[in-house]
Amino acid sequence: MRGLFSFLLFALLGAVQAASYTGSRLLVVLEDESEREKYSVLLEDLTARGYHTTIESPKSESLSLFKHGERGYDHVILLPAKSKGLGPALTANNFLDFLKKEGNVIVALSSEYATPTAVQSLLLELDIHIPSDKGALVVDHFNYDSASASEKHDVLLLPYPAALKPDLKNYFGGDGFIAFPRAVGQTLGNESPLTAPILRAPSTAYSYNPKDEADVVEDPFAVGTQLNLVSALQARNSARLTVVGSAESLQNKWFAEKATLAGKAVKTENRDFAKKLTAWTFKETGVLKVGKFVHYLDDGVSKRINTSAAIPEHNPTIYRIKNDVHFAVEISEYSYDHLTPFVPAPSDAVQLEFSMLSPFHRLNLTPISHTANATLFGVSFKTPDQHGIFNFYINYRRPFLTNIEEKRQVTVRHFAHDEWPRSWQISAAWVWIAGIGVTVAGWLAFVAVWLYSAPTMERSGKKTQ
Amino acid sequence: MPPKSRASAPPAPPLPAKSSSASKSGGGSTSAQDIVQGIWSKYTAKTPQRVKLLDSFLAFLVVVGVLQFVYCVVVGNFPFNAFLSGFSATVGQFVLTASLRIQTNPENKAEFENTSHERAFADFIFASMLLHFFCVNFIN
Repeated sequence: MRGLFSFLLFALLGAVQAASYTGSRLLVVLEDESEREKYSVLLEDLTARGYHTTIESPKSESLSLFKHGERGYDHVILLPAKSKGLGPALTANNFLDFLKKEGNVIVALSSEYATPTAVQSLLLELDIHIPSDKGALVVDHFNYDSASASEKHDVLLLPYPAALKPDLKNYFGGDGFIAFPRAVGQTLGNESPLTAPILRAPSTAYSYNPKDEADVVEDPFAVGTQLNLVSALQARNSARLTVVGSAESLQNKWFAEKATLAGKAVKTENRDFAKKLTAWTFKETGVLKVGKFVHYLDDGVSKRINTSAAIPEHNPTIYRIKNDVHFAVEISEYSYDHLTPFVPAPSDAVQLEFSMLSPFHRLNLTPISHTANATLFGVSFKTPDQHGIFNFYINYRRPFLTNIEEKRQVTVRHFAHDEWPRSWQISAAWVWIAGIGVTVAGWLAFVAVWLYSAPTMERSGKKTQ
Repeated sequence: MPPKSRASAPPAPPLPAKSSSASKSGGGSTSAQDIVQGIWSKYTAKTPQRVKLLDSFLAFLVVVGVLQFVYCVVVGNFPFNAFLSGFSATVGQFVLTASLRIQTNPENKAEFENTSHERAFADFIFASMLLHFFCVNFIN
């Protein structure tokens, strides 16, 4: 029995130690078994990182993204196929459902094959646009590999991407050049806040179809930095989808190829870039986890010393208006195989909202301390002068980071009858305290005079009347 | 209060004559000062001492009340409950005192046959203490 238990424990530990934060079941959709060799290094790297790879042809009968209504795999790599259709198991709706179940997808495109209609409509649904005609590819007459594409200029050599915005972390940075042979460029629609470019084409690149037998490219699909070679979508449930414009760049032959950029010999770093790309898409990087979520009342220094319970009550359900409240939250970031303390980008901050319908406070959280695998963020504030049902609410959504949306509900009550300041503590009330005092004193004097002066005269007067 | 004490100081008998002459002369002249003086002398002559005492207390309460109200208008009503409490103590005391004046005024004797002055005064004391209690409570 004990042996069985420890076996189960080890099995669990093994599952936990898989590279990805969400799971290790990986499906690689590959039509031609012979093409498998071309991607062997990528697949071996993934297996070495702890993924259990299943390779299936889209035509396979047994292929399904779901099993018993739940996702059958945690991650999918969709490699380009010759056939135009992907079959009934891999429709656009299936992929969307897979994303809804928090599965992650890498879609690799190739200009040599027509993009399947399922992929086309999937990308259209996600507001990622690709050229509709087969064979369209990205060309750059300045950043090309002169060793392999001296004529066609369709093998792009690009440096690693910089951070998308200065207040974002860069999960795809590095030193060196990445080769993008015969890439299909994508553009992102303006409507979706969920999409983000990972690698933009240089400003001198453009997308065109070499089959157009014209000397001058008229009306290209897109030009310059509006073209993306790799773009990403992170859904609201943090499921990730990455579109890689060039499946060839994931193949063995470009993983450490000698290339020539403007007469200079360089070595392509595709293997490292592919690792970063798969790691991000399969939730090995950029995953945030919330640990402790604590709020408590600050009684003030004097009160805390006097009470026997030095540690305040954690997460009380009720506060009073104008209470001093401390708040703390632990946030970790998953990095390849372990949790690290999360440090936001220098000009960024995690914010706490104290909200009832609308936020009454929106405060930057400051890092208080670091543990081995978490940062403790904290802030203290005064509850607003408004009673009602409030939320401690953290809503942190950044490109390339999983979303944090944490809420704790508390009641904020008004002052109890005996919690108001006494009248004499408010100097403005002294005048009216004096008013009462004078009235009462005058009344006492009146009563005294009345009683003292009354008897003889008044009684006799009464009697005579 | 000095004019009042001066007025109450002279003995009673000569006053009616004076007032009658004053009223006569008042009937002759339309001077406002004469009218006021006539009223005043009549008041000092005919009013019992206890009613005068009540009247002076009422005047005092009016002064205190006006002072509080003017202060509130000029400076502001920040602890509003304090203002209400202070002002209503004065106003309430005025009302109670006025009631006592009505009940103990010899001129109203016919209407309060069954209410002795002692009873009226005891009611007044009780009501006033209740009022003060409420006001002190309300000002917190």
